[in-house]
Amino acid sequence: MKSGSFEEVSRFSRVSRVKRVVAGFLSVAFLSGAMGVLSGCKKRGFGKDAEGKVKVVASIYPMYDFVKRIGGDLVAVKMLVPAGTEPHSWEPSTRDMQDLEEADLFVYNGAGMEAWADDLLGTIQNKDLIAVEASKDVSLLKTEEVHHDAHEDEDHDDDHEDHDEEGHHHHGEYDPHVWLSPKNAEVEISAIADALIEKDPEHADTYRKNLEEAKKECEALDSAFEAELAPYKGGYIVVAHEAYGYLCKEYGIKQIGIEGVSADQEPDAARMREIIDMVREYGIKCIFFEELVDPKVAKSIADETGCKTMALSPLDGLTKEDIDSGRDYFSVMKDNLQALVDSFQ
Amino acid sequence: MPEILQYAYMQRALFVGLLLSVIVACLGTVMVHKRLSMIGDALSHSSLAGVALGLLLGFNPIVGAMAVCIVAAFSIEIIRKKLGDHSELAVAIVMSTGIGLAGVMSGFVKSSADFNSFLFGSIVAISGFEARLVMILSAIVLVAFVLLYKELFYISFDEQAASISGVPVGAVNAIFTILTAVTVSIAARTVGALIVSSLLVVPVAAAMSIARSFRTTVLWAIFVSVFSTIGGLVLSFYMGLKPGGTIVLISVAFFLVFRVIALFRGTASSDAKKGA
Repeated sequence: MKSGSFEEVSRFSRVSRVKRVVAGFLSVAFLSGAMGVLSGCKKRGFGKDAEGKVKVVASIYPMYDFVKRIGGDLVAVKMLVPAGTEPHSWEPSTRDMQDLEEADLFVYNGAGMEAWADDLLGTIQNKDLIAVEASKDVSLLKTEEVHHDAHEDEDHDDDHEDHDEEGHHHHGEYDPHVWLSPKNAEVEISAIADALIEKDPEHADTYRKNLEEAKKECEALDSAFEAELAPYKGGYIVVAHEAYGYLCKEYGIKQIGIEGVSADQEPDAARMREIIDMVREYGIKCIFFEELVDPKVAKSIADETGCKTMALSPLDGLTKEDIDSGRDYFSVMKDNLQALVDSFQ
Repeated sequence: MPEILQYAYMQRALFVGLLLSVIVACLGTVMVHKRLSMIGDALSHSSLAGVALGLLLGFNPIVGAMAVCIVAAFSIEIIRKKLGDHSELAVAIVMSTGIGLAGVMSGFVKSSADFNSFLFGSIVAISGFEARLVMILSAIVLVAFVLLYKELFYISFDEQAASISGVPVGAVNAIFTILTAVTVSIAARTVGALIVSSLLVVPVAAAMSIARSFRTTVLWAIFVSVFSTIGGLVLSFYMGLKPGGTIVLISVAFFLVFRVIALFRGTASSDAKKGA
C-alpha cells in the first residue's frame, strides 16, 4: 500500500521541465493579475483630497453619516464596514488597518456592536488616533433572551434599563442598536461633534452650527415618530432580529424578534410556532425583514399566517445604491416610520 | 390532527426532510464506498463560492452555486484519480479552493451582504419553490439510483473489476457526481449545509456497522437518515432545540448504538464487504 502510494505521488509530480516552466509562468501571471484587480478596487489611504482635512474612520453606516453631517467638507471620512455588509460578520482587511494608521479620529458605535473594535485598536500604532465611542452617553438596554414571551414584557421593562459606568461594553451584554431611536442619535451626534471640536478647534463654530441643525432634525424626526405611532401604542411588530429595542421603548410598541439581537441565528421549530401563534393572537398583519439578510424565514411565517412582508432597516449597513441615490439616516428612518405605520393598518 | 402537523411550515419541513434524507442516504452510500465521505463539506463550501460568483456577475446565486458545485465535484473526481492512494486529499484540496475563492470574492460583492444567509437554508423556513425543486430532484435521484443500482453496486466495491466486466464506469460515475453536486447545492440552500454534509456520511457509517450486504447498507442508511430527520424536527418543535444540530446528533447516536450492537455480534465494519 505505502510504496504504491509513493510511486503514484512521484509520478504525479514528475512532469516534464518544459511543462513546469510554463506552469510557473502561468501562475505568476495569474497571481499578479489577481493582485492588480485586488489593489484597483479600493483606494489606498486617504489620498490627496484629504489634505488639510480631519481624517476620520467610521465603523458602520450610521457613524459615517453622523460624522459627515457634523464635519461636512472639513472632514474626510472612510467607512470600515463597506456598504451593504452586515457588521456582525465583517473582518478588517490590511488596507483598513492602513487607513486607521493615517486617521485622526476613529468613530465607532460601541456597546458591543463592533466586537472587533478592541482588537483593532490594540494593534494600531497610531499614537495620535482618538477613538470615539459614540454611544458612551446613551443609557443602554440590556439584551433580552430570544425566547422571552411577549406577554411578560409589560411589567419589568424598567429592569432592562442600565446605565453603564465603566464605559466599556462586551458584545452581547447590551443591545448595541442605539441609533434607531432619534433621541439616542442626537446623543451620538453630540459625542461626535465634541470629538471633532477637540481635534480641530479652529473650525469649532462650523461644527457647532452643524450640530444645532442635526439636533433640530433629530427632534423633528422624534416628534414625527411620537405623533404617528401614538395611535398604535402597545402594538406588536415582528422583526427579523431584535434590533429595535430602543425605538420600541421610546414609542411604546413591542418587538417580537424571529432571531436574537445578532442576525446570524437559525430559528428552531418551536420558536417558529411561538411567533406564528403570537401573530394570530395579536392580529399582526406584517412581518418585517431586513434587506441585508435573506427574508426566507419572514416569508415562511407570512405564508403561514397570510401576513404581508415589508422591509424595515436597522440601518447597520446601507447598500451602495442607497447611498449613491442620496439616502441617509434621516430618509431611511422616515421610510421606517412609514413602514411601521403601514404595518399597523 | 397532532399539533405538529397543524402548521404549514412543519408539514413542509417534514415532507422535504423526508425526501432529502432518503436521497442523501442513497447518494451517501455511493460516496462513502468511494472513500469520498467529506465530499458534502467540500461541495457545500464550494457552493459558497458559486453564490459569491452569482452575486458578483449578476445571475441567480443558486444557479451559480449549482454550477460551481458540479465543477468542484468533477475536479474531485479528476484529482482523486491522479493521487491514487492519497485520493482523500482531492476533497481537501477542492474544499480549500472553494473556501479561498469564496473568501476573496466576498470582498468584491458590494450590493448584497450577508451571503451566508443567502446560501444556507433552514429546514423550518422552506419556500414553496424550494419544496418543488426538492420533489423534482428526489424523483430524478431515486430513478437513477434504482435503474443504476447494479452498476453502482459493482463500482462501489471495485471500480477496476467493474470496468473489466463491462460496466460503463465513467458514465455512471459522471451521473452520480452531477447528482451529488446538484443535491448538495439544493439541499444546502433548502435545509442547510450541516444537515446535508452530515447525512451523507453518518447514517451510512451507522448502517455499515450492522448491515451485511450493499442492499441492507442502503436500507439501514435510509432508515437512520429518515428517523434522524423526523426525530430532530419533532424534538425541535416540542423542545425548542435547533433543528440542524439535533438531526445530526440523533444520527450520531444511531451510529454509536449500531457500533455497540456490532460489538456484541463480534462483527467489524468491513464485514459489509465480505458479506456482499
